[in-house]
Amino acid sequence: MERLTSIEDFKAMQDRLVSERDYSKPSIVIPAGTCGQASGANDLIRVTKRELLDRGLTDKIRLRITGCHGFCEAEPSVLIQPTGTFYPNVKIEQMVRIVEAVRDNQVLDDLLFVDPATGKAVEKQSDIPFFKTQVRTILARSENIDPIRIFNFIRNGGYSALAEVLGKGEPSQVVEEIKRSGLRGRGGAGFPTGAKWELLANQQNGHGKFLVCNADEGDPGAYMDRSVLEGNPHSIIEGMLIGGYATGANEGVIYVRNEYPLAIKHLLIALRQSRGFGLLGDDILGTGFSFDIKLVRGAGAFVCGEETALMRSIEGKMGEPRQRPPFPIEKGVDGKPTAINNVETWANIPLIIADGAEKFAKIGTNGNTGTKIFSLVGKIKNTGLVEVPMGITIEKVVTDIGGGASGKAKIKAVQTGGPSGGCIPAERFDLPIDYDSLAEAGSIMGSGGMIVMDETTCMVDVAKYFMSFLKDESCGKCFTCRKGIQRMHEIVEDISEGQGTLEQIDLLEELALSVKDTTMCGLGQTASNPVLSTLQYFRQEYVEHIENQRCPAGVCKALITYSINENCTGCTLCAKTCSEGAISGDKKQRHVIDSESCTRCGACVTVCKFDAVEVA
Amino acid sequence: MKTEIAGILEKHEGDRGGLISILEDVQARYSYLPAEALKFVADGTGRSLVDIYGVATFYKSFSLKPRGKHLCSVCVGTACHVRGAPVIAGEFERQLDASVGATTEDNEFTLETVNCLGACALGPIVVVDGHYFSNVNSSQVKRIIKKTHVGLDEAEIKADRRLYLHTVSCSRCNHSLMDPDHKIDGSPSVRVTASFERKHGWLRLSSLYGSFAVESEYPIRSDEIVDFFCPHCHTDLKGASACPLCNAPMVAMLVRAGGIVQICSRRGCKGHMLDLDGAGV
Repeated sequence: MERLTSIEDFKAMQDRLVSERDYSKPSIVIPAGTCGQASGANDLIRVTKRELLDRGLTDKIRLRITGCHGFCEAEPSVLIQPTGTFYPNVKIEQMVRIVEAVRDNQVLDDLLFVDPATGKAVEKQSDIPFFKTQVRTILARSENIDPIRIFNFIRNGGYSALAEVLGKGEPSQVVEEIKRSGLRGRGGAGFPTGAKWELLANQQNGHGKFLVCNADEGDPGAYMDRSVLEGNPHSIIEGMLIGGYATGANEGVIYVRNEYPLAIKHLLIALRQSRGFGLLGDDILGTGFSFDIKLVRGAGAFVCGEETALMRSIEGKMGEPRQRPPFPIEKGVDGKPTAINNVETWANIPLIIADGAEKFAKIGTNGNTGTKIFSLVGKIKNTGLVEVPMGITIEKVVTDIGGGASGKAKIKAVQTGGPSGGCIPAERFDLPIDYDSLAEAGSIMGSGGMIVMDETTCMVDVAKYFMSFLKDESCGKCFTCRKGIQRMHEIVEDISEGQGTLEQIDLLEELALSVKDTTMCGLGQTASNPVLSTLQYFRQEYVEHIENQRCPAGVCKALITYSINENCTGCTLCAKTCSEGAISGDKKQRHVIDSESCTRCGACVTVCKFDAVEVA
Repeated sequence: MKTEIAGILEKHEGDRGGLISILEDVQARYSYLPAEALKFVADGTGRSLVDIYGVATFYKSFSLKPRGKHLCSVCVGTACHVRGAPVIAGEFERQLDASVGATTEDNEFTLETVNCLGACALGPIVVVDGHYFSNVNSSQVKRIIKKTHVGLDEAEIKADRRLYLHTVSCSRCNHSLMDPDHKIDGSPSVRVTASFERKHGWLRLSSLYGSFAVESEYPIRSDEIVDFFCPHCHTDLKGASACPLCNAPMVAMLVRAGGIVQICSRRGCKGHMLDLDGAGV
């Protein structure tokens, strides 16, 4: 590995890499992030390599293994460049045909994506409704980059933004540029990034300053940070380097949760490579600027996403939050002034520098600029990561991009912001997605989880789920959080079991408000949101559980029974599946469920091919 | 145990957030945090045992109890929850006869739930020993357990269509490294000279891409880094890259049909890269 010792060195290498490449040569791109690998992308890669070798095509067709492209529903998928042909849900046998088709410059019509609305096949990725409405400034970069190869990143403009700011030699201009872009923290709270950097830059540099990348993406149902870390780790490193230069910090930490092994692997490789090329460490590109980044793995504590807890965890202590002020910007990691930004915020930095603050500020709305990545999951047809301009309506995301409900049941709400967020009902889907509107509606933007719920999702159960989650994850320092969440969980559990009373709803509301007011950190202050927002919009569901002993969604086990209707053909599949032996019946005769021994596990519903199992 | 802990502590000397990484390494070695090990860590780091115990119990991924041979984690994140993860967790409890957080009596399985693995589109997700299972329904649980008993890494050499033969040669003299007389996995093996601890001898690798079968003249300890030489021109086969998994040097060989294959020089490490256009990093 050649260490680059000047900005000219770097530019020469970048020019060489670009000029070497023959862009007319077709590439087979296979996304292999965690989701891709879980759905079989590794097998496709193997087969592709075998085919390319066997047919002597290695100098005619390129193979690129990348991180996730976002359309998880279609995984494992294959993208052909430069034509943009997209093949969803590819099987091993089909891969052989795809390689042949690429060799012969053909398109396989039978394997293309079929638009469910029109029934027509769509060839190009950019024409698929899921991609069409998006503005993919961050995610699209991952398509061109093999995350474990730094040359790939540099060839695609990587580290140019760093070279640019180092070349200009004006740190304060960088801070100005970020301020002008209007970028706000993508971790959820929406603090203006430029203002944060200015505060850090103005701190005395006695014992050094610190930058942290918060990659402890703990919100269940949110995984955009994982995808960026896996698919484009160098962009985070470049962002932090620019941040370090602008604020005068010399040390950085990327705090990643341990549940993301692939992200950790790719980051470690990226850090090693950039250090080897002299893009990280001492005297970067011979400019005298030094900045080093270390990777710290979390150990499975949700509260460590909170900034003061995160800092303690970085110091190797128990991740308990502490009172603010002093804010991290004054007293952070090891007592040094510290700026903490989220993964997606860091990923935006090189883009702003490279393309200019004005271009960035043009996307989105006033006060909410740029794009935001959401993970659209739950009861939705097109699950995946979607990157949209800020201020787009929920309706557009759910219907135009998400393609509407996945099943027959109607969509009734989306849950945003994870355990700290709330549920927004379908009537309010005209709401623009920005920090302020969502907060006003009783939820929060959060890191970007967007979980779609339909009529088979019980809101009492959702509230119970989040209370149970937070009860386990509360660090226990504040009494009201520790006990309050536990009590809220008990009440919601009572209601879900048909043991609740109407007075308990009032008590629940009162309790939720006191927890909100009397806890110290972000976890406790927002812990009541799931309860409060479901009570605000779906109070009737709570009442139904109490007064009529009925779970309208058919979820709460104590209040439902399973039965088999006349659709039953007597195929015996359900009886064989039931681990309790609760289903009986003769072959070709309608079966019966014994509600005494039935545990309401739902296995029979999953296996029945005739819609014969009813829940009431 | 004391020397092993000392080794781990040495590795993390001057490390930021040292304690958590130290405990992670200890757990990786013993599969849990033995009480005795925590005492050694306290002695070695100069921190009080209470401190160490506090950290070990605060974070979910640490276990003070011995864990089973296989770790089975059921994701119970929101997206998996609405798709029926609690049912899957319940089915695992029934099939394994162990509750969440517990280890089976035969010490084979530890069952855990985790809060979101970030593969929400494919829920419910189950991860066993690092292998992901997606869209799991309750009738698949039995099969997953059975597969784990057999071994998730086992590839059936004959039946697996993903395995294929590749012919390699020395990157210096271009002389073929294939040995048709000595077969591994039923195919000609790749022969190189291996050198470690002042021993030199032959080492033969399976030529099937995807098989990790190796035979050698002298037994090589696991984790040992071995120098590879061409048996014809005696050039060191060390490539330019470091192993993406363990950072040991990679060994490079030319693939007959085009490209470069690199394998990790550390015994037991499965790190490898196949570059069809020979681009390297």
